[in-house]
Amino acid sequence: MTIATAFPYPTPVAKLRSLLNSLPFFWLLLAIPGALMLAGWLDGAIDTMDMLHPTGETSARLMIAAMLIGPLTGVLGARRWLGWLLRRRRALGVSAFLYALAHLVFYVIDMGNLDDMLAEIGAPGIWTGWVALALMLPLACTSNNAAMRALGAAWKRLQRLAYPAALLTLLHWWWVHNGLAGALAHFAPLALVWLALAARRLQSVDAPPRTPKGIRP
Amino acid sequence: MTKLPLAALALAVAATAGLSAPAHATGAIKCDAGPQSGWKSREALESKLTKDGWQVRKLKVDGGCYEVYGTTPEGDRVEAYFHPVTFEKLYVARRGQVLFRAKGY
Ligand code: HEM
Ligand code: HEM
Repeated sequence: MTIATAFPYPTPVAKLRSLLNSLPFFWLLLAIPGALMLAGWLDGAIDTMDMLHPTGETSARLMIAAMLIGPLTGVLGARRWLGWLLRRRRALGVSAFLYALAHLVFYVIDMGNLDDMLAEIGAPGIWTGWVALALMLPLACTSNNAAMRALGAAWKRLQRLAYPAALLTLLHWWWVHNGLAGALAHFAPLALVWLALAARRLQSVDAPPRTPKGIRP
Repeated sequence: MTKLPLAALALAVAATAGLSAPAHATGAIKCDAGPQSGWKSREALESKLTKDGWQVRKLKVDGGCYEVYGTTPEGDRVEAYFHPVTFEKLYVARRGQVLFRAKGY
């Protein structure tokens, strides 16, 4: 850092640092699990049916990660690493949606025809997935700066669709998988942070809210 | 009281890190069928099911039973469990929704 300010041109190390720290590089990281899954599938090592698990779980993890950052900032106050994550929250949300789309694509390939898909759409483990995806769609469509500006305060209200989407994902996971353990384990961090946030709010009812507006990108 | 949020954070990180376990068996039901050497073969189950009008996509062992992903003679896409010695149909589910469960299972 000091070297970079001492010289008019960035050193190779500083250049590398800013490259690794850039948003495109973060997107690249987010794409790696998908690339590995895709390679395994094209190779024949992973059945189409077995692509549902990694795509769905990755989507859910990214969604949870996106949803953790805000409340964590509320609990811990502004931190540098949280600011770093805040600037990447949109990427996390969008990639959660993209992995969910991939999940759907492999579901469609595996089912192979519309009749079979319609026949099971009423199953609790399936409609919950469809509704979760439907709720994520408007978020994805309004995730650009132009839409954010145009929607103003409504954008924030729209973004709250993430909560029912997360709840439906939890139910989807639970019901499609005959078991609550995996789903609960993933959603536990979110529940814990919300609890901590609620505890904080209770402690400081008359203090101003601690959400640091200034550092939101 | 700053310890509480920090503890929650630590827990959250630990939970996320510790639970990256890969796909687990669904283990919808369990079969007590003795050692695998006494089982009938997968091929035998597959050909029996095919003769009965099933379409088998995938056949594996789960919970000591044979677990089959496929289509029933009625045309439903399901996940079904069969006893590995008797080939008795024990459990049929569609995406976690139970359609059939044999007595005692
Ligand atoms: C278009 C709607 C959706 C359909 C039809 C669908 C379908 C499925 C199916 C059939 C499975 C079972 C896979 C298996 O048996 O291994 C599954 C699992 C899963 N799905 Fe979805 N899904 C949908 C949307 C979503 C969304 C939006 C998310 C997340 C945000 C999601 C996350 C998951 C997860 C976490 C699993 C469990 C993975 C596992 O442990 O096997 N799904 N989904
Ligand atoms: C599907 C595509 C999504 C896009 C494009 C998207 C985009 C964004 C953007 C642009 C922000 C504003 C702040 C920022 O730029 O970092 C944001 C905030 C947020 N996102 Fe998303 N998001 C998406 C999905 C999700 C999902 C699936 C979740 C969780 C389930 C989620 C949870 C959040 C939360 C909790 C906030 C903070 C909202 C607030 O400050 O009140 N987002 N998202």
